Amino acid sequence: MRTSIAALFALGVLVAMPLALASDLGDVGTLDQAAVSNLPRFVEANRQVVAFKTGLDKQFTARMKAAHSQADQQRIITEFRGRLQDRQRALLGPLFGRAQTAIASVSSSKNLSVIVDKSIVIFGGQDITKAVIDLMQSPGPIAAPVSTPPPSEIGFVDNDQIDAIPKLKTANDDFLRFNEQQKRIAAQKMSKAKTDAERQQVLRDYQKTVSDRQDQQLKPLADQTKSAIADIGKKKNLVLVIDKGHLIYGGTDITPDVQNAFK
Amino acid sequence: MRSNRQILRPTRLTRILAVAVLGCALGACVQRVDVNAPSVRGIGYVRLDDVVKKHPLYSELSQIESNMAALSLQSLGPAVPKTGAEISRETIQLNRELDAARDRANHILQQKQVDYAQKEQAAVRAAIVASGENPGAAPGQEMQNTAAAQVAQISASANRDFAAYQETLMLQDRAATQNVAGALEQRADRQYHQRLDALNARESQASLEMVSRDSAQRLALRTKLNNLALDDALRAQTKAQLAALDRKEADAVNAMRAADAAELATYQRQLRAQTSAEIAVQTSKIHAQTAAKLAQRRSSVSSQASAQIGGLAPAAPASAHMSAATQAKIAQIDREYRTRFKADVSKTVADFNRTRTDLDARFSELRGVDTASRGSVGKQLGALRDQHDKLYNQIVAQVQHEVQNLANQRGLKVVFINIVAPSGGVDLTEDAQKDIESLHE
Repeated sequence: MRTSIAALFALGVLVAMPLALASDLGDVGTLDQAAVSNLPRFVEANRQVVAFKTGLDKQFTARMKAAHSQADQQRIITEFRGRLQDRQRALLGPLFGRAQTAIASVSSSKNLSVIVDKSIVIFGGQDITKAVIDLMQSPGPIAAPVSTPPPSEIGFVDNDQIDAIPKLKTANDDFLRFNEQQKRIAAQKMSKAKTDAERQQVLRDYQKTVSDRQDQQLKPLADQTKSAIADIGKKKNLVLVIDKGHLIYGGTDITPDVQNAFK
Repeated sequence: MRSNRQILRPTRLTRILAVAVLGCALGACVQRVDVNAPSVRGIGYVRLDDVVKKHPLYSELSQIESNMAALSLQSLGPAVPKTGAEISRETIQLNRELDAARDRANHILQQKQVDYAQKEQAAVRAAIVASGENPGAAPGQEMQNTAAAQVAQISASANRDFAAYQETLMLQDRAATQNVAGALEQRADRQYHQRLDALNARESQASLEMVSRDSAQRLALRTKLNNLALDDALRAQTKAQLAALDRKEADAVNAMRAADAAELATYQRQLRAQTSAEIAVQTSKIHAQTAAKLAQRRSSVSSQASAQIGGLAPAAPASAHMSAATQAKIAQIDREYRTRFKADVSKTVADFNRTRTDLDARFSELRGVDTASRGSVGKQLGALRDQHDKLYNQIVAQVQHEVQNLANQRGLKVVFINIVAPSGGVDLTEDAQKDIESLHE
């Protein structure tokens, strides 16, 4: 009996060990997105987008001159913006796809559970930039990994979606309107200010007005949001939560939970 | 009595206590949080902004930020000082200079005209005296006729001068109105395009971000689909998820485009109303100034003409009673003086033209001043931004170095910055702040 307990204990240790290793945050990868976007393929695609935009600008100006009404102008603007964005997506979309496959492939081969932008990691993590670049530059298609990344202790939220929560959006829009209005007033005052001291005073007044409003209107909501995110993170056994904009691959999405918390 | 030195010297006990306290402090540092605890897992984080604020160079960074904010506010201003009121003021000043130059030239010309007329009269009289002829016993009527002709000439000249001035002023008025309207419309156009570019950039950015953000999810779904062992139901569900993802992206892009288009239309309407109102105000100001100038000139011209008419000298007594030779001589004198007068006058006119060219150049400069001033603000902002980024990077590099030391001491594996919220992990912010502050003590 004692032997079997010891054997079970040993087995337990053996089984638990890979889990312990997996939870070791050596499984956080980082990627220098700027380095990837400087790859010749991206540079060339961006050059093509710029060239396309230059040509489009000329057509746009000519069409706007010939427009007879405001409605015509709006139609032209929408049309040209759509054309530019479609082109951008057509040129850059496949490259993003290839980059993502390369990232997923490297991540899988290195047993990483999450890849984040290098700019938010100040220490540690495995930098996979070179491996990804090498893979991206290799000829032929890149094979996608057969398994999805393991669950990660790093959570993420889509701040755009959080900002769109009605309560937060209303407050934010209201604040932006207030800020624009104060900016216009300050700019008018600034144009009348004759000395540097007067200009500094205008700036200080403007900053204080906006900052007071921010503290009064937005800070309580920001604190509430942060607290809700932290609580959800704890419930889901996450260590910390980052913005989706900094996430490159993997991670645990808690955006829907945060949205629900505000319902 | 113990000396100060003795008081200050630590006793053995205090030293021991100090060591013990230090030991405890270090121990606390090391043992404060178990870095391998489930809520930490070797992860730390730093609130970078809070640490940067403790850096000794932060005040300098903050000053640069203030300057940038001030410049941005200036550049955001309605630019009336340069496009509206100030251009109008400077236009008035330049017009004043132009008027003064024209008055000066007219005065010189009138003076020369009188001088040459007097000299010519003297020369004619001398020629008559030299010929020994009597121009006639009753030159009074002829002189009166000549004087009347001269009065008519002066009046006509004054009227012509006023008409010319009026025409010039109206042209200036029209040009000033057009300049102000043009500058205000250009400003509105520029503001509109700035907004348009900003929205374009935002949409492009959002569109690309969407592709980039969702590609992880898309890739995960595709990876699932690659799995041959996937049952039909799950495969269909995954495909549906992929389709939903595409729809979500397309809907989001379309919604953003529609919202931006509406925002742009509203903004354009606002700009148009605002610009029209400003143009109306500036135009009425210019018209009022023009009317005032015209009234002033009208009174000045009429008083000048009165003075000239009052001071008229009798004209040279050219008469049919004279011999052909004397008449020829007088005609020759007249030609000579006309030629000399023309030559003299052309110099005065040339001087005036030079002044006018210079003023025209300044008018043009004035019209371009708005663009130039904006360009200058843009350059200053660019320079400040470079300076700011350089200093900020320098501060962050130092923070990074300190955080690396802290992370090594604590046995952390990864340290994040700019996180949304912590659910666990080790907050290194306060320690990093202390280290950064102590570095410069």
